[in-house]
Amino acid sequence: MVPRTDRSAVLIARRQLTPGTYAVRFQLEGPFSAPRPGQFVMLAIEGSDLPFWRRAYSIAGFGEGIDGPWLELMIKIVGPGTAHWRTAPMESRARILGPLGRGFPVEEATGPIAMVAGGIGLPPLLHAMAELASLGISCDLYLGAATADELIEPESCARAVAETGGRFFACTDDGSAGEEGLVTEVLGRHLDSGEAYEAIWACGPNPMLRALARLSAKRGVPAWLSMEERMACGVGVCLGCIAPAPGGEHVRVCTEGPVLPAAAIDWEAL
Amino acid sequence: MSAPDLRVAVGDLLLANPVLAASGTFGYGLELADLCAPEALGAVVTKGLSPAPRAGAPMPRIAETSSGMLNAIGLENIGVEAFCSDKLPELCRLGVVVVVNVFGESPRDYVHVIERCEAEDGIAAYELNVSCPNVSSGGMEFGHDPDLLRTLTSLCRRATEKPLWVKLSPNAPNLVETARAAVDGGADTLSLINTIRAMAIDPWRRRPELARTFGGLSGPAILPIALRMVHEVHRELPDVPLVGLGGIESGLDVVRFLLAGASAVQVGTATFRRPGAMVEILDELAEYCRQTGVHELSELTGALEV
Repeated sequence: MVPRTDRSAVLIARRQLTPGTYAVRFQLEGPFSAPRPGQFVMLAIEGSDLPFWRRAYSIAGFGEGIDGPWLELMIKIVGPGTAHWRTAPMESRARILGPLGRGFPVEEATGPIAMVAGGIGLPPLLHAMAELASLGISCDLYLGAATADELIEPESCARAVAETGGRFFACTDDGSAGEEGLVTEVLGRHLDSGEAYEAIWACGPNPMLRALARLSAKRGVPAWLSMEERMACGVGVCLGCIAPAPGGEHVRVCTEGPVLPAAAIDWEAL
Repeated sequence: MSAPDLRVAVGDLLLANPVLAASGTFGYGLELADLCAPEALGAVVTKGLSPAPRAGAPMPRIAETSSGMLNAIGLENIGVEAFCSDKLPELCRLGVVVVVNVFGESPRDYVHVIERCEAEDGIAAYELNVSCPNVSSGGMEFGHDPDLLRTLTSLCRRATEKPLWVKLSPNAPNLVETARAAVDGGADTLSLINTIRAMAIDPWRRRPELARTFGGLSGPAILPIALRMVHEVHRELPDVPLVGLGGIESGLDVVRFLLAGASAVQVGTATFRRPGAMVEILDELAEYCRQTGVHELSELTGALEV
């Protein structure tokens, strides 16, 4: 396990991604373990009692600069906590606990890998693609959104995929950009037309992950899926973020996940 | 200047400091060892243990509320056997003071858990969970009926010579009467309060936030209620050692509970928000003692000026 710490951090950069999402970069005050792609952090507004729980964010990028380690996260505005980071001045303080959970099986990857992101599910896949690019493993990215407006940074996604030697497929529900249809449908069509992948790595809403789990079983392509769940602690003790596993068992999304093999979850019971 | 002496006595049990991890918020004592050393705490109260493993409640199990949260975990646990064989040896190796939280659906279950633990070394005390609001049988029903509680406590009393704590329910119709019943049954110490039965509603979906509809409220929202209850029981039963809990987030919160009549405290929900919270709380408590010239924490217990 990568050693985890609870560190103060300061906001050093922010950019808008879509009308409802933005990327934030935090400089950590002190050492922070290099996260594995797919791991997450629990983020708090330092000095504030709100929101009551920290929020879990998959890591979009990590680096070691001259001022120490930094983390990039992508935030979708849903309430007062997320809105805070949209307007907070630079140098605003955060508290970051991580890296947490289990990530994608980078060491076992040979490629090519189909990366599938639904909306704000993109960050862990960006992190994974950066790592795979450095290992010379190719991946195709299927990025889905409802409309063209909501596609997160398609140009930089295309560049990130190109670094791995793979291709970028934007998918929109209304066909306003890229291919029309759900991202899972588009991947299914590509598999139908002979596209071959070693594995599917994905992050997005549960209905998308469920569709991918079915696709994975039907096509015999292993899938590693990053799940989202309501969490109080993020470190395995509140037992609030469980997901059903086959045989009536369950897993803690924060600790056994968030990235799990598709077969580890009973998707029909979820 | 030397570090203040934070040692406390909870009845006959001597602890290095008064800050204990509350049941159900610190796993089996090892999960957060890298973020909060369990051996640095006064004690760790384990997740409630039942004779056999329990799968717990359906999802969603937790909800965020104003200054607090609801949970309905349903006492998911690995069972007493797995605890004794897989967790206890490592806790002993680290020198952790272990208080086993005991849960059952019948008096026989409670006695079974204690008898199994009695075969092991390294357990400092037992805490009977008779106040969990999230299970359909056992738990809270014992904590609400003074006669049942007296009987249950006396059965457990016969099973062990170790300190026996009873964790009281804030949901009981008469708190002081249940406190007396536990003491009459042979409890050495009372811990209070467990979570307060509550609910949250999603107005858009017109549904309860929790699958079980009702859950237990914890966090700073309940601290004033917990203080009142600790003080009330302390006034009625001044010789009974109390362990106070409910929404503690700071060293000053600990002092508040001691003044109300507690000899030690448990910290729970704060750990979810800050896994190192208990270590910070101990530092703040030491700082309070330095600033106010407190030499022994027992000076504070029940020292409320009214």
